[in-house]
Amino acid sequence: MTTGSYADAAGLVERSAAAYAAAVPVTPQDDGFFGPGSVTWRVSMDLAAPVAGLRSLLIQALHPLAMAGVDQHSDWRTDPVGRLAATSAYEVTVTFGDRASATRAAQRVRAVHEHVRGVDPVTGQPYAAGDPALLLWVHAALVDSGLATSALFGTPLTAADADRYVAEMTIAAELLGVPHEMIPDSVAALDRYFDGVRADLRRTPAAGESMSYLLDPPGLDVDIAELWQDIRDAAVLALPGWAVQMYGYAEPPPLTAERRTEIRQALGVLDAVFLGEPGVLEARQRIIARMRSAGKKRADAT
Amino acid sequence: MRARRLAIAAGVGAVSVAALTLLRGRRNGLPGTRRLRLERGLAAVRLAARGGARYATSAPRLFASAGEHRQALRNDLALQTAEDVTATLGTMKGVLMKLGQMASYVDDGLSPAARRTLSRLQDSVPPMSPELAAQVITEELGQPPDQAFATWDPEPIAAASIGQVHRAITRDGRAVAVKVQYPGIAETIEADLGNVALLRRMLKITAPMQDVDALLAELRERVTEELDYRREARNQQMFARYYAGHPTIGVPGIVPELCTRRVVTSDLADGARFADLLTWSQAERDLAAETIYRFVFRSLYGAQAFNGDPHPGNYLFRPGGRVTFLDFGLVKYFTGDELRPLVAMVKHLCVDNDPEGFRRAMEDAGFLMRGAPLPTDMIVEHMAVFYDTVRERGSRTMTGAYASAVTRRFFDFRSPLAAYVQIPRSYVILQRINLGLFALLGELSATADWRCIAEEIWPFVQGPPCTPMGVAEAGWRAGKLSRDQVERPQVPGR
Repeated sequence: MTTGSYADAAGLVERSAAAYAAAVPVTPQDDGFFGPGSVTWRVSMDLAAPVAGLRSLLIQALHPLAMAGVDQHSDWRTDPVGRLAATSAYEVTVTFGDRASATRAAQRVRAVHEHVRGVDPVTGQPYAAGDPALLLWVHAALVDSGLATSALFGTPLTAADADRYVAEMTIAAELLGVPHEMIPDSVAALDRYFDGVRADLRRTPAAGESMSYLLDPPGLDVDIAELWQDIRDAAVLALPGWAVQMYGYAEPPPLTAERRTEIRQALGVLDAVFLGEPGVLEARQRIIARMRSAGKKRADAT
Repeated sequence: MRARRLAIAAGVGAVSVAALTLLRGRRNGLPGTRRLRLERGLAAVRLAARGGARYATSAPRLFASAGEHRQALRNDLALQTAEDVTATLGTMKGVLMKLGQMASYVDDGLSPAARRTLSRLQDSVPPMSPELAAQVITEELGQPPDQAFATWDPEPIAAASIGQVHRAITRDGRAVAVKVQYPGIAETIEADLGNVALLRRMLKITAPMQDVDALLAELRERVTEELDYRREARNQQMFARYYAGHPTIGVPGIVPELCTRRVVTSDLADGARFADLLTWSQAERDLAAETIYRFVFRSLYGAQAFNGDPHPGNYLFRPGGRVTFLDFGLVKYFTGDELRPLVAMVKHLCVDNDPEGFRRAMEDAGFLMRGAPLPTDMIVEHMAVFYDTVRERGSRTMTGAYASAVTRRFFDFRSPLAAYVQIPRSYVILQRINLGLFALLGELSATADWRCIAEEIWPFVQGPPCTPMGVAEAGWRAGKLSRDQVERPQVPGR
């Protein structure tokens, strides 16, 4: 198969925005599994979040069984934009939704995973999407990407907050069925996990195709495509060296202060475009208002 | 080479007219390939319109839907610290807002909806909290607002482009409007304009013919000027002094001791907004239009200054044609050498009926390449539209169609003249006469004998008053002449 078998990416911004706006709760019953004072909320609101998303996908695709599941079962090729929008809506619900909404969303995903089973054509190994090891892989890639991209392009976390973030996020993996004791709960544990899993990773043809598509999605508006180049470069810059080698990407030039600024500006413009989509500003303000009032309560308590 | 000259002229013109006229997604006036190139070149600004416009429209919905929690929510979202300002307006958002604001001055080609939303762009940024505004006042004036002023209203009355306006009463009893700049916004915008790699790329890929660096330099200069309120205060003070005692033109006086880089304090003005004026009788609208017209050309020929911000939001109206002019953030001062060829062009074309003289004046001004292989009558024919309202005596009604025709002609790249015509940088701002004044008067459907009024103002005619307002103005001028012998108006430098 070639990348030509993918549907184009027109409407990426619009559909992601619609999914985002709909997923941020209007009248949550509680603060959810993280809450407005959490590091997780800050990382989700970070300017670099789109880079984190793209970097997660780049890493996640390097596990042959995870990639095979997506390639053989999801609507990824026929509706890549819809797939991405649904994934980000899920993350938003788990992060900002109340506990009941987050739990329901996770149960829906687990139900879908029940049917995602097969054999990876490259390694010949059987896989199941509900396999805790695969779920953990996807989780770890996401958490690691939040840390890496906010450090490089967003607001870096302190070491303590980075540990807190990894620990807070364990609940996200648990919701999908990963036993608590398997889940790294500190930066050091996360690093050890990646060291241990490295031998299972490789770039399969499906991964190469998928990621070529994502790095240069056809059908974007000309202005969005221009901005996407920066998002893509940022994601590759933020990859660990082993991932760059597996993909065979040219070693990216070192990140200068000027280039970092340029990338941040591209993220800012993209964010302005995103905010311009219907409902996004309101959703963003709902979150900011909750974070602000939580901050005020904390300040009043001390 | 010719094409390049034109492209540069067009590019710089575009930037200065609207920072990036480029913004206008659907311009119907531009023919052929040039149009394509320009439209694509607008990518960065189209993003501003896209982002900014919808950002603006969606903001009030939140507050509406929040019902009784509205005020609480507004308080929660208020900018509390300089860090909040940076988070809200940093990484290009402040720059995009500025671009959107500049683009909103451009009438031609923007749909009414886009105009409406762009003009509301600034409403989308939450106000500063009373504490943050007070902090800026304290930093700038050396004491908190309740000591710097006799009375201070902590609730802002209006949003400014990069700040907000508070009402206050000075300690000697003057009712004033105090414009307070967001802390950190100047540094944030300057930082973003200090690294133009992204903007350059977005312009360059789509507009390879244009001198992108000249565009960016112009943009940076304009925006940087507007970030320093002291400049605005000096400008406004000059205009206020020049028009002191004028029967219909009002410019709020400045309180210099309460003006700094981030604070500008001026007399509190009030009046109806442009939207209200549109509901007034045609006679009132004509009078308001006459005042605006006199203001623009008296300023140019008399004060040798032009307010490059002819934006309906900057005018307040009262009956009898009285207009208060606000916001002098973008003023261009002309030297005698810069003004002379402009005056000569008008004189040769409209008074002396001397086409060859007109052509020479165009060449002297740098508008027309010397020795261009074009017959003079073709040049006159091309340029005449700009002078259409003042070539002959008689009552004429301004229309939106006329304003559009003027703008289209400015951007007419298909004309055989296009390769030989350019707009030198010092005159670029004058396009706002076309884009601002004519569009505004067109919207008012204003009727007057514009030629006759122009003759009053033209320094080479100085004709007798031809309207009641002209008579009143003549009285002001007589008094002014005697005053000026005592006190020459100070023209602030750059």
